[in-house]
Amino acid sequence: MSKPTNEQSQTGQTPHTLHPLKKIEIIVPSEKETFVQELLDDSGVSGYTIHRDVAGRGSHGFHEGRLLFNDRAGLVMFFAVSSEDTIQAIVDGLTPLFEKSSGVMFVSDTRVVRLNKFLGEADE
Amino acid sequence: MPIDRAVLRARIENAAAPVGLLWPLETFNATNPLLGLEAQPFHEAIRRARALFGGRGYPQADTFRRAWEEGEIDPDVLQKHLDDRGIAASPEALLFEMENAERDARPSAPADDPLDRAMCRWMAAFVDQGQAPWPMPHRRDGFYAAWRQLAPYDGAVPGARRPDDLPATWVDALADVLAGRPESSWEPLFEHHLTALPGWVSFIKRRMRAKRDAWQQTYPITLAHYLAVRLTVAKRMGRSLTPDAGPTDAPSDTRASQIAALWLEAWEESDRNRLLRTLRTSMRTSSNGSAAAERPAAQLVFCIDVRSEIIRRHIEQVGPYETHGYAGFFGIPMQHDAYGAASGVKTCPPIVDPKHRIADRPAEAHEDDAHRYDAWQRIQEAGRSLLNTLKSNVAAAFGFVEGSGGFFGAALAARTLAPSALGTMDEAVTRRTGDPNQFCTPTVDRQPDADTEDGLPLGLSHEAKVLYAEAAFQLMGWGDTFAPIVVFAGHGSQTPNNPYKSSLDCGACAGNPGGPNARVLAAICNDPAVQASLRERGIDIPSDTVFLAGQHNTTTDAITLFVDDDDPPVSAEALQRLRADLEEAQTRAADERSGTFAGARASTGVDETRRRAADWAETRPEWGLAGNAAFIIGPRSLTKGQSLDGRCFLHSYDWRHDADGTALETILTGPLVVGEWISTQYYFSTVDNAVHGSGSKITHNVQGKAAIVQGNGGDLMTGLPLQSLQTDDERRYHAPLRLMAVVHAPVDRVEAILDRQAAVSQLLNNEWVALTVVDPTDGDAFLRYEPGGTWRPASAPAPMADPLDAVAA
Repeated sequence: MSKPTNEQSQTGQTPHTLHPLKKIEIIVPSEKETFVQELLDDSGVSGYTIHRDVAGRGSHGFHEGRLLFNDRAGLVMFFAVSSEDTIQAIVDGLTPLFEKSSGVMFVSDTRVVRLNKFLGEADE
Repeated sequence: MPIDRAVLRARIENAAAPVGLLWPLETFNATNPLLGLEAQPFHEAIRRARALFGGRGYPQADTFRRAWEEGEIDPDVLQKHLDDRGIAASPEALLFEMENAERDARPSAPADDPLDRAMCRWMAAFVDQGQAPWPMPHRRDGFYAAWRQLAPYDGAVPGARRPDDLPATWVDALADVLAGRPESSWEPLFEHHLTALPGWVSFIKRRMRAKRDAWQQTYPITLAHYLAVRLTVAKRMGRSLTPDAGPTDAPSDTRASQIAALWLEAWEESDRNRLLRTLRTSMRTSSNGSAAAERPAAQLVFCIDVRSEIIRRHIEQVGPYETHGYAGFFGIPMQHDAYGAASGVKTCPPIVDPKHRIADRPAEAHEDDAHRYDAWQRIQEAGRSLLNTLKSNVAAAFGFVEGSGGFFGAALAARTLAPSALGTMDEAVTRRTGDPNQFCTPTVDRQPDADTEDGLPLGLSHEAKVLYAEAAFQLMGWGDTFAPIVVFAGHGSQTPNNPYKSSLDCGACAGNPGGPNARVLAAICNDPAVQASLRERGIDIPSDTVFLAGQHNTTTDAITLFVDDDDPPVSAEALQRLRADLEEAQTRAADERSGTFAGARASTGVDETRRRAADWAETRPEWGLAGNAAFIIGPRSLTKGQSLDGRCFLHSYDWRHDADGTALETILTGPLVVGEWISTQYYFSTVDNAVHGSGSKITHNVQGKAAIVQGNGGDLMTGLPLQSLQTDDERRYHAPLRLMAVVHAPVDRVEAILDRQAAVSQLLNNEWVALTVVDPTDGDAFLRYEPGGTWRPASAPAPMADPLDAVAA
């Protein structure tokens, strides 16, 4: 954690300024992991988080999380934060996928302190 | 509006969903060719597959006829199925009807489509994995870009004189083709073109999904590249891009396929009844005759593979031995770097990602052996390299053939006429040059210093070791008894000149031999620190127990123990006795198996299997997993003493040691799924060998060291060769039936697992796998799972003629 004074000198803003951005959460079967990862890599987000082996109930029944001898049956959850345009591009790439394949996505408002960290090449 | 590449990729992903996965030859994993349709019920998936790929989904009428005439289909069971559907015709009349329908629907020979031919040519050039003396240039730029550079030299692409005549990128190419077409028409268009050559497309699809595929990382290819090339060529050829016929929705059911489905179900039920009767007999015998168990001389753990059943039965009969079944990768998700190999291979199931790297290194006491081996390898490598240069060099080739023809001719004659002698010679050479299996040990301990960039961590942490050891004993329901010797035996086949060797090796090790994994688990279990941690978890390994690793040669049934004979970890006498008994078991197992081959030539079973293992012209070195029909999860007492003819996967399990069901859950979600992939591969390869198998081995050619084609080109073949399934042209060996899982556990425990494992319940509800539960809390009642989640008592309680019945009465 950087001290407020460092933060201030780097950004020229107070450490408590929060900037509005969009957050997307995506849950897909793990066989779609590489597809979603490439979509995110392509979209210009500056980074994303992957949770493998998430558990939960959906329209296809319950999916248990960690399985010792199967890395394919699970669900993977991604989340990423970026500008509205970038998140919209991800939504555009996932909407047709969900016509045929199971999975969900949620987009919500979020706020971050270090804006530079979350704006990808496309937004700069 | 410009076309959004993200949308394009999603549409392509959807359109490719029905196409399965094809692994390259070095890791030829069994998989369901209808994997992409597994979310649908079995019969529906078959209809859809017929519309998409052509081909049959049910056995042919003559297959049913033979099974009927040989008594494999129980007349009463068939009659019940006929009555249930209100069909009054006789079985004979129905067979006739199916035969007539087949004659009318005989498919025409596949058209030699110039577009397909062009695609196969470019794909073959691009995916070459080291066979071509002159590889395709520009491959690092990806398939589309490399093709664009070279297409002007191909007469098959009209109007392309320079690369600039073609769209600059794959997105431009697809935008060009799709211009003016609504987005709703893209997916049917893509699907039509992706299913035209399903072999190549499933190869690309697998490669795109692989997380660490060196070929894909170096020479990237995607389905988008493929479609961009294909549609560009199609457009320039002036072809209509959309299918001539209507959309490829599943056609409605024909009467012939309804009859075939009914016969299939009757055959399956007859076969399953027979097996359940055998289990009932076996359970009665073992519960009546089991005295207090004495400590066995050794316990041997084999892969769940159907071939293990035969050797296990014979080992149990020759001496005081106990055998167990566990997935043949021994629960170690690893990549194996063999000694002297240029790259590592994955040795865990196709549905598991490797998490550790295990490298073989010469043991300290054997460094001299390693030096000698290295020297021989250098000489051999120099020889091979010289040979390749002479063969492929334009100037040298003719003179070389003239000068060396006599020598190679003699070698060819020897291989053909006296394969066993040549096999013996190979063994003698190996003795001289050294065998890394004997002088190397695996790097089981974690070695952070030896990690490579982007590579998996080398060795295992203490926690990982304890996890894998504990998982092994819990999943197998081991209990308290540890013999003085415990052997983990992986398995591998022995077959020269066979591109499908992977299909005969261990399916749980991604089509590789399982010996390396066995060595790792044995080393872990011998580790005193691991034993101490296991003791805290209630697994108490006595101080005099030694774990050994070995490998079962499934072609000859020989079992090699990886033991340093200069410094054996157990007494020389115990080792000698074990080896002698294993040899006796080999003799008996090989005798049993050689009876299943037509035209056995050698006098004894062992000689016959050795000849098959050495003969480079042998198309049936062994049967592999042919015959597989059931997957039994339970203690050995369920099956012991009965011959299951090598048709059952056997996974050890004890419900009493698995109160929360975790072990059973792991078995149902892991090994059973791999078993289903194997079963469906054998099923579909048998019912339509041209579409889902790979045709006759005689006309196979290896394409770019990566895959198999028939003759000199065309689409990749995806399944098993005819010779792995048929005894000869007329008689099949593999019975095309769906897998039945048998689980020895309380039914409510099984239900609870199905409730939280949608992936497994879907396989059952869609009837890709059947399930019978033997409930020990309900007097070992047999209950069959019905799609939707209800249970019905199995209709086969009557055991085989059993003297005990008379006594009880």
